Amino acid sequence: MISLRIFAIGGLMSYRALFYWLTFWIFVPGLVVAPVFQILLFAYIGRSAQLQSDEFYVVGNAIQYAAIPALFAMSQLVAGEKFQNTLGAILVSPAPRLPLFFGRAVPVVANSVFVAAFALTAGSLILGIDIPASSIPALGLVIVVAATSCTGLGLINAALGLRIRENAVLSNAIFGFLLIFTGANIPLSELPEWMQAVSNVIPFTHSIEAARELADGQSLSSVIDLVGAELLIASVYLAAGFLLLRFFEAQGRRHATLERS
Amino acid sequence: MKTLRLLAVGWYYQFKMISRSPFEGIGQVIYPLFFATVAFFIFRASESPRTLLYASLGAAVMGMWSATSTTAGNAMQRERWHGTLESLVATPPHFGLVLLPITLAMSTIGIYCLVATLALGRFVFGIDLTVEHPLLFALAIVGSVASFGSLGFLFAVSFVRFRAAWALGNLFEYPVWLIGGFLVPLVLLPPWVRPISWVLAPTWGMSAIREAALGGSPLPDLLLCLGLGGVYIGLGLAMLERVLSAARKRGALSLS
Amino acid sequence: MPVVEAQDLHRTYRTSTGTLRRKWMDVEAVRGVTFGIERGELFGLLGPNGAGKTTTIKMLITLLLPTSGTARVLGYDVVDDPREVRKRIGYVFGGERGVYERLSGYDNLRYFAELYGVPPKEIRPRIESLLELVGLKGREQERTEGYSRGMKQRLHIARGLLHDPPVVFLDEPTIGLDPIGARELRATIASLADAGKTILLTTHYMFEADALCDRIAVITRGEIVAQGTPGDLKRTVGAGTVVEVEVFGMPEGIVERVRDLEGVTSVSIEEREQAQMLIVQTPTDVELTHTILGTLNGANVGRISRREPTLEDAYVALVSGE
Repeated sequence: MISLRIFAIGGLMSYRALFYWLTFWIFVPGLVVAPVFQILLFAYIGRSAQLQSDEFYVVGNAIQYAAIPALFAMSQLVAGEKFQNTLGAILVSPAPRLPLFFGRAVPVVANSVFVAAFALTAGSLILGIDIPASSIPALGLVIVVAATSCTGLGLINAALGLRIRENAVLSNAIFGFLLIFTGANIPLSELPEWMQAVSNVIPFTHSIEAARELADGQSLSSVIDLVGAELLIASVYLAAGFLLLRFFEAQGRRHATLERS
Repeated sequence: MKTLRLLAVGWYYQFKMISRSPFEGIGQVIYPLFFATVAFFIFRASESPRTLLYASLGAAVMGMWSATSTTAGNAMQRERWHGTLESLVATPPHFGLVLLPITLAMSTIGIYCLVATLALGRFVFGIDLTVEHPLLFALAIVGSVASFGSLGFLFAVSFVRFRAAWALGNLFEYPVWLIGGFLVPLVLLPPWVRPISWVLAPTWGMSAIREAALGGSPLPDLLLCLGLGGVYIGLGLAMLERVLSAARKRGALSLS
Repeated sequence: MPVVEAQDLHRTYRTSTGTLRRKWMDVEAVRGVTFGIERGELFGLLGPNGAGKTTTIKMLITLLLPTSGTARVLGYDVVDDPREVRKRIGYVFGGERGVYERLSGYDNLRYFAELYGVPPKEIRPRIESLLELVGLKGREQERTEGYSRGMKQRLHIARGLLHDPPVVFLDEPTIGLDPIGARELRATIASLADAGKTILLTTHYMFEADALCDRIAVITRGEIVAQGTPGDLKRTVGAGTVVEVEVFGMPEGIVERVRDLEGVTSVSIEEREQAQMLIVQTPTDVELTHTILGTLNGANVGRISRREPTLEDAYVALVSGE
């Protein structure tokens, strides 16, 4: 029971504490306006190249953009604690690790889900794309799984951020990497084989494919194996992120790098 | 003459500093390359060499714009972090002559982005870049850098009240990519968007660069681009007076 | 005519607390500061942290607008003619920041030389001689991120002198320096005064003001409480005695109780290594030692001594508002 409290309160509090600066002016441009423009950008590029449909780009980019909160919010959480020298204090406390760290993950997942859902809705409305109402619950599920998966990647990124100085560059690079490899804007069949192999083991690829099918009117059962694949990826990345975080903290304690000097 | 030297020396040292920072230097170049790669994949399917060249140039200028939009808005905040903003304001010249070289230096990084994108196109995607009017091409690039930097100057002055100036600057990255005619011809955009494109210097810089490369007439576009740059500087200077005296009144020049 | 004139300067800040429900407060940092500095004078603005020294100096160097009052430098009004003022003053402040870390010391100076309009032919020789003056010769090609704090401070001074200004403003220039570095810096400041420059120095080090300045203004809580030569200030406490009592574990409320005693001019507590010192100033003819010991009833008392007051005591008395 205590674990549950730590999980809920700890996560929410640290999220709030470190986002006191997340004022309206950061929130709105970065998480609400930008994804819509990314969708429009690629939809129009698609029209210029006369390739895929608008729907292809809307779904792809809406989900891919959920990487932003997953990467940056999680990095801020972990790095921010180091910055405010609270990470050391937390690690010294006897609180169990697992609920503590997943307590941080949940607000981030929620943030990502919101971003993807909003972007998908706004993009569809603006470009006049019809998504069958029956698909919406299933789409919701796919988005949640995708967000969880990418939050795992965000945990890994945040862990690495404990050791490297300019974490923002890495986060931006991962975002760009996802832009290419997840099939958000390029059909997987267009990518060389080695790239397709990579696509299969990263977050979003399966979810984007599933979401496109659902938007076309397919049923949940026809995409369930894609969802399952994404769930598997989510578990692997979350576990890896958690372990990496613990490893770097232990290292940080050994080399006294946990506090901001 | 003295003014020109002041601008040149200021530009030189600011550019030196930015180039020496991995975050502000390399980081600026790498990020747009991802978008360029996506663009290359998308346009490769079309197989027309002219289209690919068009895409290559478009992506290259996207990178140039990115270098300015993501950094210029934050120029004054950056000086505050260094602890140098007060020292700069305390100097005799009009602060505009101090700030403009900073945003120009930031947009000069765009040349690295341009070269990197064209290289990516050439060596990874096999897009041959032949430039019909090399001298005008170079001129168009320099002119674009200057006018992007001027727009950056306007951003820097406008955003100075906002603690999260960097977030506001980023807000202008995608929209300009969308309506600047980089990878999306203006004719494809809804008619009401086009006037907005026309008052953006990047639109004309892109056009000038493209015309110079593909063998058209870049000069009118280039002149329009530079003219708009001048307008941005004028607007920025007009705002700067009010911004600075407000800062002096509020005591907001130091980091506190 | 004074080179630097401040007339009834006031400066109020508006600050807010909280994010959801903002509460706005007006803080008066400077309340009516008036002084004048003559040509060639080394004038000290002495006061504890938060007294309003930095706020005052920033108004004089045109970085901050006064809420009311006027100030002139070399006859130019700081509010109406900031450009003219800036051309003629140098501004040096202490601290780690304020230089471009990715540039060398030389580059930093070259950049600012341009900003201060130093004629091109004179730039190189001027920089060379300044590097010589502040003792950075030989290190000027290194990036300043590798400079020690003392070196950065010296670079600040060199930068402030690039355009050979007749008036120099130094804001706590020796803060955070090691004793040797601070001593060298003071020697440099003294030599500037000898060269005929008019200098305003802010500091919270009593002995620094005493050693360097021709005249001192003591400022506390935004107001000047005393002004004069170091000799003048010493004379204000020349009459009197200081009783120092060493206490191991100062009891609560001692300062208030002793202050309430009749005849006490000022009370303060100083931390020493193992104990605290209770320092009480009284007029010469008043004998209060036993009474003071009485208030310390029960506390563990060590040495007791009586001595003449120093300038430091004058400063403490002025600044603690007694």
